[in-house]
Amino acid sequence: MHETSIVNSIMRTLEQEFETEKLNKMKTIHLKVGILSNIEPRLLYNAYEASQMMNPEYHHVKLKIEMTELKIECEVCDHITDVKNYRFICDNCERPSKNVIQGEEMLIHKVEFDD
Amino acid sequence: MVDKSTKAARGTVQCENTNINLLKANDFVADIIKKEMAKTNTLLINITSSAGSGKTTLMQKTAEKLKDKIRIAVMVGDLETERDADRIRETGIQALQIVTGGICHLEAQMIHQVLDQFDLENIDLLFIENVGNLVCPSSFDLGEDYRVTLMATTEGDDKPKKYPKMFLTSDMMLVSKADLLPYVPFSVEAVTKDAREVNHELEVIQISSLSEEGVDEWCDWLLEKIEQKKG
Repeated sequence: MHETSIVNSIMRTLEQEFETEKLNKMKTIHLKVGILSNIEPRLLYNAYEASQMMNPEYHHVKLKIEMTELKIECEVCDHITDVKNYRFICDNCERPSKNVIQGEEMLIHKVEFDD
Repeated sequence: MVDKSTKAARGTVQCENTNINLLKANDFVADIIKKEMAKTNTLLINITSSAGSGKTTLMQKTAEKLKDKIRIAVMVGDLETERDADRIRETGIQALQIVTGGICHLEAQMIHQVLDQFDLENIDLLFIENVGNLVCPSSFDLGEDYRVTLMATTEGDDKPKKYPKMFLTSDMMLVSKADLLPYVPFSVEAVTKDAREVNHELEVIQISSLSEEGVDEWCDWLLEKIEQKKG
């Protein structure tokens, strides 16, 4: 159910962002989602296909999903750590950090249109 | 898959770098809720947990302890039935059931839709008791001041690492059903360590709505946050 909500939100957002004329030329929607976003690409693709059946005007529009890994940047020593096993601790100085710089994204990163 | 030659035949492809949040529509409404709550300085708390960890019982106990000191209301989300709202109303406070009809989380739009049913001028503390689920509700900002996650001793102490997003976005973890600690293989120390590896700012209270352990500490925390909100 969660994925359906997200797809609805994407389509509503794009409809607010772009004129209908432009939406008709929409070709590909690129999403960037972090490992921490609780989004499972396969399920999102399925939900997107289901939404296309309900909204035939978008049946030609492709969805592409890019997943990003978790990274934190230490506020004290500026070191960037790849977070493993959800341990939000700086590799360099061992201080805890919540400063997530990658891996939390839920972005409509890019939209392609036919000219 | 579209290959290059097909692209060329169709003419130029125009690209727009948007970088819009997927949940922009939700976050926009969450901001409206925040502004509404700011008008009356009503503290809004989002209560999350998996199903059956004692959210409604905690709402009942909190109402019982605080209803003579402050004005409390609850909105409670479930897939079906009005049972939880009925239980909370029995304590004498206002409760509204949001039936999601199968949706696994509450969204800002659902909260905003029912907000006018509450007389916010006369409410100090409004709880949102979310749908019991440690996954989906973590992504949806409801405009709350604080997110509080219950983690029952019967669930096993390995949950924070399994559902990291919820614990990363929470301000408080209540280790609930603490009265059962002598009977279950659950380590408060281990769960706290794991949760704080995910979120080092997370506050933790060990609580039991039945034995009342930790209930005063929880109520004091709420009263302090209400004071702060009232400025």
